Amino acid sequence: MKLRTRLLTAVSALPLLAQQTVAPTGELVGRARGEDYLGYNLVQSFETGYRFAGIDGNRGKYRSDVNYRNGIRLLGSNLTMHSQDGQGRYFDELVISTQGLGNDPYQSSLLRVQKNKLYRYDLLWRLNDYYNPALPVAGGLHLMNTERRLQDHDLILLPQGRFQLKAGYARVTQDGPALSTFNLDGARGDEFPLFADVRRLRSEIRLGGDFNLFGAKISILRAWESFREDTRRLRDTPHPGANLDDLVTLDRFRADEPYHGTTPLWRGNVRFEKKHFAVHGRATYSGGRRNFLLDEAAQGVSRFGFNRQTLVFGNARRPVTAGDFNLTLFPRARLTVVNHAAVHSTRIDGDSFYRQLDNGTLAGELVSFRFLGLRTVSNATDVNVQAAKTLSFFTGYRWSNRMFRSGDGLGFPGTDLDRQAYEQENTLHTGMAGVRWRPLKPLTVVLDGEVARADRPFTPISERNLHGLGARVQYKQQSLLLSAAYKQMYNFNAVTVSAHSARSRNYFYDASWAPRDWFAFDASYARLHLDTVTGLQFFVAARLVEGQRSLYISNIHAGNLGVRVAVRKRIDLYGGYAMTQDTGDGRAIPSDTREAVASLLNRAQTFPLRFHSPLARVSLRLHPKLRWNAGWQLYRYKEDFKLVVPSQDYRAHTGYTSLSWSF
Amino acid sequence: MRGVLILACAGLSLWASPGGEYVGSNVCRACHPDVWLNSYKNPHYKSLTAGDLAVEKTGCEGCHGAGQAHVEARGGKTSIPNAFSLMPPGRILDTCLTCHSQDLSRANVKRSAHTLADVVCTGCHSIHQSPARRFLLARAEQREVCYGCHGNVRGQFSMPFKHRVNEGVVQCADCHNPHGSFAPTWRMSQRPRLVDPALGNETPCVRCHADKRGPFTFEHSPVRIEGCETCHAPHGAMNARLLRRPVVFTLCLECHNGTGNFGRQGDGIQLQSASHSMADPRYQQCTACHLRIHGSHSDSRFLR
Repeated sequence: MKLRTRLLTAVSALPLLAQQTVAPTGELVGRARGEDYLGYNLVQSFETGYRFAGIDGNRGKYRSDVNYRNGIRLLGSNLTMHSQDGQGRYFDELVISTQGLGNDPYQSSLLRVQKNKLYRYDLLWRLNDYYNPALPVAGGLHLMNTERRLQDHDLILLPQGRFQLKAGYARVTQDGPALSTFNLDGARGDEFPLFADVRRLRSEIRLGGDFNLFGAKISILRAWESFREDTRRLRDTPHPGANLDDLVTLDRFRADEPYHGTTPLWRGNVRFEKKHFAVHGRATYSGGRRNFLLDEAAQGVSRFGFNRQTLVFGNARRPVTAGDFNLTLFPRARLTVVNHAAVHSTRIDGDSFYRQLDNGTLAGELVSFRFLGLRTVSNATDVNVQAAKTLSFFTGYRWSNRMFRSGDGLGFPGTDLDRQAYEQENTLHTGMAGVRWRPLKPLTVVLDGEVARADRPFTPISERNLHGLGARVQYKQQSLLLSAAYKQMYNFNAVTVSAHSARSRNYFYDASWAPRDWFAFDASYARLHLDTVTGLQFFVAARLVEGQRSLYISNIHAGNLGVRVAVRKRIDLYGGYAMTQDTGDGRAIPSDTREAVASLLNRAQTFPLRFHSPLARVSLRLHPKLRWNAGWQLYRYKEDFKLVVPSQDYRAHTGYTSLSWSF
Repeated sequence: MRGVLILACAGLSLWASPGGEYVGSNVCRACHPDVWLNSYKNPHYKSLTAGDLAVEKTGCEGCHGAGQAHVEARGGKTSIPNAFSLMPPGRILDTCLTCHSQDLSRANVKRSAHTLADVVCTGCHSIHQSPARRFLLARAEQREVCYGCHGNVRGQFSMPFKHRVNEGVVQCADCHNPHGSFAPTWRMSQRPRLVDPALGNETPCVRCHADKRGPFTFEHSPVRIEGCETCHAPHGAMNARLLRRPVVFTLCLECHNGTGNFGRQGDGIQLQSASHSMADPRYQQCTACHLRIHGSHSDSRFLR
């Protein structure tokens, strides 16, 4: 009995560690063992309360980062039912779990119901209330205030049988108001803010089955993915535009861009295993197709003094074929060799018919065409050897060859398009090796390294000459876990003018300790360093500026601390602190210069800021089946250099009070 | 008295068990009531209720091996053929894969970064004491399992801009397959990072961000060729829209500098237009005009 109590207490203490949002409450209510009823065991709990938030400073930034607001919530609920003999009439297991229902910005529900040997059904539903003014991106003109809802259903019939049937349905919607921009007449024109009504829907239907044939396990999946976007962008009041030096004005604007398409998909998978080897092959084919129409009407004065109506229509296709083949050999118990070969092909092409009318006069129709083809062949071999009981090695070599072809075409309908075609090919070789050592039973040491070379990378910032090193030490003894890790990745991609160097170094330390059922402690610290230098060329006042460099330095310190103390099994106290701080390169004030180009680049070299969040919570057991909870959490965001105007700093006191009960 | 009970149960089971050395789960129950207590909630309990599996594939001995020696020795870990706390990681993996190797999601488990680092099944799953609602995870929340080793990722999800993992609306397994993954179809097929591709073998980002998926008549090539990570830090960032730089123009200009043999045409990625004076703030927010930067149906410069 004492062992059982200890076991259940240990299980209940675990979720309290490292909690980064103050609610829902981690402490359990009711009997962890649950209640027995009609051959089932029931465990359930509900937490209802009021969440509050007081915000000083930039409310838009708070909503972007945190977004908890006032109101009554079903902060969390859990219900599990298990058949005690595994022979329930309609189901053997039922799990329902919810979080944040009511009006939290982050809501989720989970349902699992299954009957042994007959069926298993899983549902996951989630909602994300997304608000983002994105001030540094487009000066706040690309604000989004949308809700994304995701649901995924999975049904398996005969889950333990030799022949299984699978069906699934997924649906993602994104709806809500947003701001957008519109450029009229290109660089010498003007930009105007617009209102956008975002309406997007993606759905996916999956049908398939698994079966055994001649000792091989075969899976077949047929799926259909569809997407439709019916976002409308609108402006119904005159606006002078962002460029005050020109004469372009916009009185009214409307753009409808219905964009619908489907992607039918096949996936086949076969697995065959014997004593000394295993084979796993997979092939997928998806044939994406989208039809689109852009109907855009702009009234006002353009650079050429016209109203403008633009109609663009056409389609785009993207068949994607991929195949993977794994051969795993285990010639000896201590040796594993895995070879993975993959081939992938993507072809993207489409026609875009462009028709423009100015003041009701047909100005012309153009056909644009573009093709992008991508073919990748890769092979990876990994060898894993256990040299001794406490020592093992692994090594691997990966080779990848990629070819991409592209083509453009432009012309008038009915005539031959002026086509241009390009072809590029590049190859990457990677070698990696590592060692694992267990000098003591609770102590693990892992060291690894990687070197990669590419001959013709696609972009100036792609991997070309890459070195990676990693080390991890972990000590795990009963209730104590200590770990430390280091990871560095250096990439150099230099050509004559564009010398790119990116160096990242990550350090991580963690300690978790739960010596008693009434005390638990968890702390972690990570330092994420990144410095990059990239050669730049750009224009200032129609003059090409050469030999400039984009320098970016980031030194992020991220720490988490959580302590839980239970007082006489009646009161649970939790205190935590999370901080993320970018100290930049150490400079106290932004570099300033009167020289326009230097000023432009200096102010984006580093972006020091602080994001701190202490939290505290108390949970009081009023009755074995009833608890009262209250918590407070502060979010404090402060930028050391004011990169954008208005200031994005804020301070928000959030909290909640709730009752958790079980019946 | 307890010893007599054990021996009596053992005798009964041996009589009923064709293998002789398998004693049956009921014998284990006598000395391990704490494990047995909640065993019907464990997915492995199905093997007992199925009724059509061989004794060596069901119940306690399905994983731990024949229990006769353990019973005769009156307990002790060393007498258990498969005592997981004493087994080397490779053997733990092989034991679990005896039943769990058939699933497509575990096709790459032998070459996954986790296996190479000796993180095998029991590193993340707790078979007897799982506080999780599904998948027998060792922690109540999936993220806590991952944070145990990936502290740098925990730091990224604590940044101002992030996917809502700590808030519970996004899970690590939405994008990653901890059991290993196939070669990605982007970034030269290298470093899969346990990323779980979407159904059509594309980057998992498009499962939710379907509007960025295309196909577009005018694709922004690096999105398809190098992947979303070229411009975005998918876990979290100090910068808006998970961008890798605090301002947009440096992000764009680092590639669009017109040098080298980079890009689609192999003669450098197109330099910005001479009409764009970067000293003018109007040109510093590139995406204010190049709105459809992920791809466009209507304009090769992504203006509409």
